[in-house]
Amino acid sequence: MNPQRIGVYVCWCGSNIAKIVDVEKVARVMARIPGVEVSREYKYMCSDPGQELIMKDIKELGLDRVVVASCSPRMHEPTFRKTLKLAGLNPYMLEMANIREHVSWVHENQELATAKAINLTRAAVHRVMVHAPLVQHEVPVNRATMVLGGGITGMTAALRIAGQGRKVYLVERSDELGGRAIGVGRAGPHMNSVAALLDNLTTRVNDSAYIDVLTGTVVGEVSGFVGNFLVRLANGTRELTVGAIVVATGTQPFDAKKLHRSGYGRFPNVVTSTQFEEMAASGRFTTESGKAPRRVAIIHCVGSRDSETHSYCSRTCCMDALRFSNILRDALPDAAIYQAYSDMRAFGRDAEEFYARTAERDVTFLLFDKLLPPTVSEAPAGDPYPLLVTMDEIATGIAIEVPADLVVLMVAREACSDAKDVAKLVSISVDKDGFFIEKHPKLDPAATTTDGIYIAGSCQGPKDIPDCMSQAGATAARVLAAITMGKVKVPATTATVNEDLCVGCQTCISVCPYGAVIYLDKHRVSRVEEVICKGCGTCAAACPAGTISPRHFTDNQVLQQLEGLLAAEEG
Amino acid sequence: MSYEPKLVAFLCNWCSYTGADLAGTSRTKYSESVRIVRVMCSGRIDPTFVLKAFREGADGVLISGCHPGDCHYHEGNYKALRRYHLLTPYLVQMGIEPERIRLEWVSASEGNRFAQIVDEMTATLRTMGPSKVQATMANYA
Repeated sequence: MNPQRIGVYVCWCGSNIAKIVDVEKVARVMARIPGVEVSREYKYMCSDPGQELIMKDIKELGLDRVVVASCSPRMHEPTFRKTLKLAGLNPYMLEMANIREHVSWVHENQELATAKAINLTRAAVHRVMVHAPLVQHEVPVNRATMVLGGGITGMTAALRIAGQGRKVYLVERSDELGGRAIGVGRAGPHMNSVAALLDNLTTRVNDSAYIDVLTGTVVGEVSGFVGNFLVRLANGTRELTVGAIVVATGTQPFDAKKLHRSGYGRFPNVVTSTQFEEMAASGRFTTESGKAPRRVAIIHCVGSRDSETHSYCSRTCCMDALRFSNILRDALPDAAIYQAYSDMRAFGRDAEEFYARTAERDVTFLLFDKLLPPTVSEAPAGDPYPLLVTMDEIATGIAIEVPADLVVLMVAREACSDAKDVAKLVSISVDKDGFFIEKHPKLDPAATTTDGIYIAGSCQGPKDIPDCMSQAGATAARVLAAITMGKVKVPATTATVNEDLCVGCQTCISVCPYGAVIYLDKHRVSRVEEVICKGCGTCAAACPAGTISPRHFTDNQVLQQLEGLLAAEEG
Repeated sequence: MSYEPKLVAFLCNWCSYTGADLAGTSRTKYSESVRIVRVMCSGRIDPTFVLKAFREGADGVLISGCHPGDCHYHEGNYKALRRYHLLTPYLVQMGIEPERIRLEWVSASEGNRFAQIVDEMTATLRTMGPSKVQATMANYA
């Protein structure tokens, strides 16, 4: 092996490290390791003079690899990689020893802390000796996008992307666009017409020269990777090639039959919020007997905020219940209207005011403890109303029975029953409730952990129309940013197979969470699709022949690090 | 000098290593015995790494990754768990006491928990005394 020329730089971090660790001693000990050309300590390695010191040594002393003993690599690894790059070295010829977060900030005994700092830095020196230069590749990006789901969210995302002149395939399983918003008359708190909104979106989508609307279409298979997906439609007639995929598959209403106490499916005058929307659309409010209802009880949180069904809040039903009360009051001025609720979630602009206005319209609000939700039962024979809603009203502390001839259940919105299949189709994750998980809830809420796959709307968690449309816009912007450049960088720290030694057992294929390893039948070896690989390295831990290896975390690199870490104490 | 145990900790980059960083930024004190090796995922930890650590003189090995369901790479921690269960009896056959190896889930927000695990393991290793692996290897050399 060629003699190596390593530079070691031990940082004081002001007094953060130097107060506990004898940094001069660390530098002195490192200087004695064969291959170490220069070993220095300095007050702040990350400062401009600190980085210039490293760059100067690289150039003047011909260093070919660098160790920085300072803070966590999670903090400054990008900084020092850039330093190496600026000085003409491959950025991966760096290794850091974390002697601040893992030493000086957590230990008090100076002697032991210094000994540990020496061990960690020596481990870094041993490791960097077997580092290899790595190259970050770029692959071209197909600028078309597939949007999965033709509801309000999917249409909005499609229009935003098409607005930039990019091709969109809008794939909808049912025969018409609109999703769950079809049949919804108005939306609170302003009672805007949802039908008009849908009409506007659908017309613009159908008129767009850039949007290919594929209704009655199901996706059969998605293969490929960021920038280069191949989508096979289930009817087998067509294949789409796209660079990005937006999943906007929405939610489904909770099946109230699952809750016996709701009375749904047992009593004909118990209806769900979805059925109530249909009544409202027709303008005809009737009980089973065909007469207009005189006492209506609206029950909140049916399937939401409940340990038996869904623990989460469905977010939209409180506002829907208020809207229903207003619709009922307009249509039936003399009817008694009850709302049995456990917390009124009227959040956001104008919502609380809407609640207050509704309360002024002779609507009776009854409060229940969410642990003791109301029960719907059949009224005894001879009662004037067919149903009884029984509950402990906690504002008054009285157990009450509300006679009613119509009960409306505000059913939860839940993840679609086939959400897991969709997740599997595009390799994304679902949470415990079946909603798709974003890459980061705050920093990257429209992306997923699979590059090139984005999410929008209530498939990520229940949302109202404005929130769905906002996220659709955010997701479209995220997609456009990814496809506009026309190329995408692939991480350098991917796995690679030594095909000369691979025995073709395909263990790596069985453990890869991304399907990034393919088997070459002709050569009987595995090969890594580097654009898909995330570099987790589990294939390497599983490979019985030791022929697959994640770059920058190779067996040899870790074993060398361990030798340095546990070498006998020195001066 | 009194016996100071050497504990090697393999930590995944996303949860446990970040948790150990948090112990640092929170100035949570723990034993100097632990020496941390970063891997991207606990699923990367090849049993060879553990054997190598004992071979080079570690008195104990800690493997730590994200809590079940939280793995950055979906399920690497489950693979780490399986490998741990396969490895431990093998270590015992080689004369390495099972108390010398531990698998623990530590999230990025559990700096205190990381410190506590290190201190617990250090106390155990201290009462057990040094690992006999190196002395045994010397006999066969």
